[in-house]
Amino acid sequence: MKTSNRKLAGPGLAIILFGIVYAAVTGFISNSYYQLIMTVVPVWAVMGLSWNLLSGYSGLVSFGHAAFFGLGAYFVALAQIHWGLTPWIGIPLAGVLGGIAGLVVGLPTFRLRGHYFALAMLAYPLALLYVFEWLGYQELTLPMQREAPMLAMQFADHRVHAFLALALMLGAMALTSRLERARFGLSLVAIKQDEAAAEAAGINTLAWKLKAITLSGAMAGAIGGFYAVVLLVVTPPAVFGMLVSAQALIVAMFGGVGTVWGPVIGAVVLVPLSEILHARLGNVIPGIQGVVYGIAIVAVILLAPEGVFWKMKDLLFRRATKSVPTPPAAAAVPLPITARPDHAGKSVILELRNVSKAFGGLKAVQDVSFDVANGEILGIIGPNGAGKTTLFNLLNGFIVPDQGEVRFEGRDIVGDKPYRICTAGVGRTFQVVRPFRRMTVEQNVIAGAFVHAASDDAARATAREALVEVGLDRHAQRLAGGLTNKELRLLELARALAGRPKLLLLDETLAGLGGGDVEEVIAVVRKLAAKGITIVIIEHTMPAMVRLVDRFIVLDHGAVLATGLPAEVTRNEAVIDAYLGKRWRAESA
Amino acid sequence: MNEMVRKAIGGALAAALSIVAFGAAAQKKDIEVGLIAPMSGPWARQGQVMKVAADLAIDTINKQGGIKSMGGAKLKLTVFDAGDSVEKAKNAAQRMVADAPDLVGATGAYLSSFTLAVTEVTERAQLPVLTFSYSDLITSRGFKYVFQTSATGDQMAEASLPALMEMAEKASGKRPKTVGVVMDNTAASVAFVKPIRSTQLERLGLKLVVDETFTPPLANATPLIQKVRSARPDVLLLMPTAISDAKLLLEKMNEFGLGRGKMPTISNGAAILDPDLRTNMNVEQLEGVMSVVANWTTAAQKDMVEDFKKKTNEPWATQHFMTTYGDMFIFKAALEMAGKADRESVAQALRKMDVTDGPAKYFPGGRVKFDERGRREGATLLIVQWQNGIPLTVYPAKEALAAPAWPKQ
Repeated sequence: MKTSNRKLAGPGLAIILFGIVYAAVTGFISNSYYQLIMTVVPVWAVMGLSWNLLSGYSGLVSFGHAAFFGLGAYFVALAQIHWGLTPWIGIPLAGVLGGIAGLVVGLPTFRLRGHYFALAMLAYPLALLYVFEWLGYQELTLPMQREAPMLAMQFADHRVHAFLALALMLGAMALTSRLERARFGLSLVAIKQDEAAAEAAGINTLAWKLKAITLSGAMAGAIGGFYAVVLLVVTPPAVFGMLVSAQALIVAMFGGVGTVWGPVIGAVVLVPLSEILHARLGNVIPGIQGVVYGIAIVAVILLAPEGVFWKMKDLLFRRATKSVPTPPAAAAVPLPITARPDHAGKSVILELRNVSKAFGGLKAVQDVSFDVANGEILGIIGPNGAGKTTLFNLLNGFIVPDQGEVRFEGRDIVGDKPYRICTAGVGRTFQVVRPFRRMTVEQNVIAGAFVHAASDDAARATAREALVEVGLDRHAQRLAGGLTNKELRLLELARALAGRPKLLLLDETLAGLGGGDVEEVIAVVRKLAAKGITIVIIEHTMPAMVRLVDRFIVLDHGAVLATGLPAEVTRNEAVIDAYLGKRWRAESA
Repeated sequence: MNEMVRKAIGGALAAALSIVAFGAAAQKKDIEVGLIAPMSGPWARQGQVMKVAADLAIDTINKQGGIKSMGGAKLKLTVFDAGDSVEKAKNAAQRMVADAPDLVGATGAYLSSFTLAVTEVTERAQLPVLTFSYSDLITSRGFKYVFQTSATGDQMAEASLPALMEMAEKASGKRPKTVGVVMDNTAASVAFVKPIRSTQLERLGLKLVVDETFTPPLANATPLIQKVRSARPDVLLLMPTAISDAKLLLEKMNEFGLGRGKMPTISNGAAILDPDLRTNMNVEQLEGVMSVVANWTTAAQKDMVEDFKKKTNEPWATQHFMTTYGDMFIFKAALEMAGKADRESVAQALRKMDVTDGPAKYFPGGRVKFDERGRREGATLLIVQWQNGIPLTVYPAKEALAAPAWPKQ
């Protein structure tokens, strides 16, 4: 990705140029067979784009896009046969139908993740195939219109079909390209990389996934309708068959997933290739075309596992990470301990009352009650397995407590989804960092900024501020996957910060950092606290904690063992026995 | 996206197209006839058999002096692979009309759905196509350039039960009173049973005592055959389309003591008569099983069949072999009438043709004349029965190679 100006002009221009070249080539072809191939290529490109819009960006692999495709095809065919509806209206309606089907399929199926989602998606076209056979639609043909062929899209010159297909493809590309760079694309990519982190960053993952499958279904439905007009014969295996879903997946995977160009490249290369092989070898050595085609795909997958597009991009530009020199790390300057205001008697931002959570027989959190005062830094300490992270997961909605109350600013938030709690003003980071690795630093933070941003520009501005705040602004364009541990910790802080939280839950933010780095991160945390953000931090690094926090809560076996000022807690015998250990006693004595 | 990528894409596209454009077929003086059928994919075997049939017929025609009205011009076959999907079949048809402009006609495309797609293309290119696909839809679209040599699905369904009754009565002296149906839900089976369920049973005074439909592939035939055993119909319509399903059902019937002709069993189409079945199951278990087909080896073609067996190593000629073989002789007759190698003239000749000799001996009914829809008039059905490991035509009597075996009750 280059600067924002080029970003706006580049893809649009490339799509227009590609369209002109494709149209020009099509215009010069007089052989009706090649005209048909020029028509079929965009059909499969759009099918690939449709698959890509859902699966490529969100990572939820669909094996069932034939369901939408087939519904569109059958709708256009049946509407023309029974109601005389022209495909000029039928195809847009097929798109609407595909969209509705997407929504209906998405609602129950998004409860599943990973392989289970992929398998469930596989079932829809298979079921529909049998339903349409049962309905008696084994073979449908679109009646030949001798009087008004234009109205039925039955042109004598097949180039018109190719131009129509091209228009549909350019439309799908423009839409994808627009969405890719907007909130839509970023949210989906965030979901793809870490759905839980996305949810915690305030992204309503279910809503975005539903939007994606609806749009994706609409694209597939419309192109399925068009396919019926081109093929003129609709049979369940031809439109609901495994091959249809597979073809969508293959062109996208071959060309490159998660980019507008991938499915197009895939279709432009593979569809003619398969046809040429079929035409030239099919009669000579029957079946050899399948072998050659298969080997070609395997070879490309081995040489360019992410697809042709990404490989070409790598070869032509090198990845952005390599071209941007890493600026030297700022020298760590230990900050002086500044006096913290006293928070006793201040208003309460978060209240826990008798919160418990058990996993089977393990009581991870038992009867925990405490208040967090507005603006304070609260440290949560305790031995491994004391239930600290579980407590955070209860607070930000990842898990629902078995009993008890959690009130944020006086409102009960038990049972709220994580993105809602994030929207309400609770940000969090993770014990094991969960950045969106394949996104740039800036994009990571923008994903977190959408919660309260009215527009994409506003989100970008908020993200900038957050990056400046944590000192990562110079690294904005690097890929998150290439950051150091400290930078990742700061990135998570920035992402949480971009959601304008009132309360920040920091889970072992200092873990694995060296001495200088610890000081740097602590400085940032303190800066945030100084701005009035309430902070709850889990940490094991006691010397750092003692200097950072206003108050401690000590957890042991899921229950509160002690609370108090750092000085009190660190001298508490029970705390020393359970957590700090004898060496601590020896050192502090 | 930068300039280089744009250029690269443009270049790749141009390269791909130049490869595509290269290799348009060179012109020959021979008269070109097309065969469009699955040469690859799951139906490749049947496509290969069709190719053997066409080659054999053309060889015979050329040896006998070619097209006499055109100075002994030779026929030449061009094959187009319809592949394994409707899309591929349609693409192949488009390639056929675009790359072979001298083609005077073609035959194909095995599956009804392929034929439907192929003829959408050939109709627009005004290329005459002969087909043995059954589907009524093929000749219900007002097309002028498609000629169906088989009885259509509806005609076969209408005619098969009365034919069966007649045959049963003659062979056993008794008219069946009850009938059972076990079928899969594919297009061919559904179309076949529809008129039987709606009108035939009542008209023939038959009672339907068991009626089961399954979705292929069948995992277990036991529940279906159990129902058949307890209902004990006088005749069973058993309609699997997949050879594996046929095997399962027949083996189960044997296990339950209903096989080997004990319960008269009749199917639809050539699946249950396929040579593959003989290699995959005990031949004795096939004994007595019958099927209704549009074409098979009949008494008229005994000599030709010997030649066929020698040249192909196939145990017998199936319906797609017989029909494709006969189609070449139909083209020969049409070309003789037309006197020129031009598709429009061939189409006109086909519309005018009315012969009872020449190609007619390869088609049941013994007459080649097409009505205005393109259906062969007088196209009848044949009933074929497994007898001693070979499916033989047993009905109608004048075309039969053997007498039907029917259990005396």
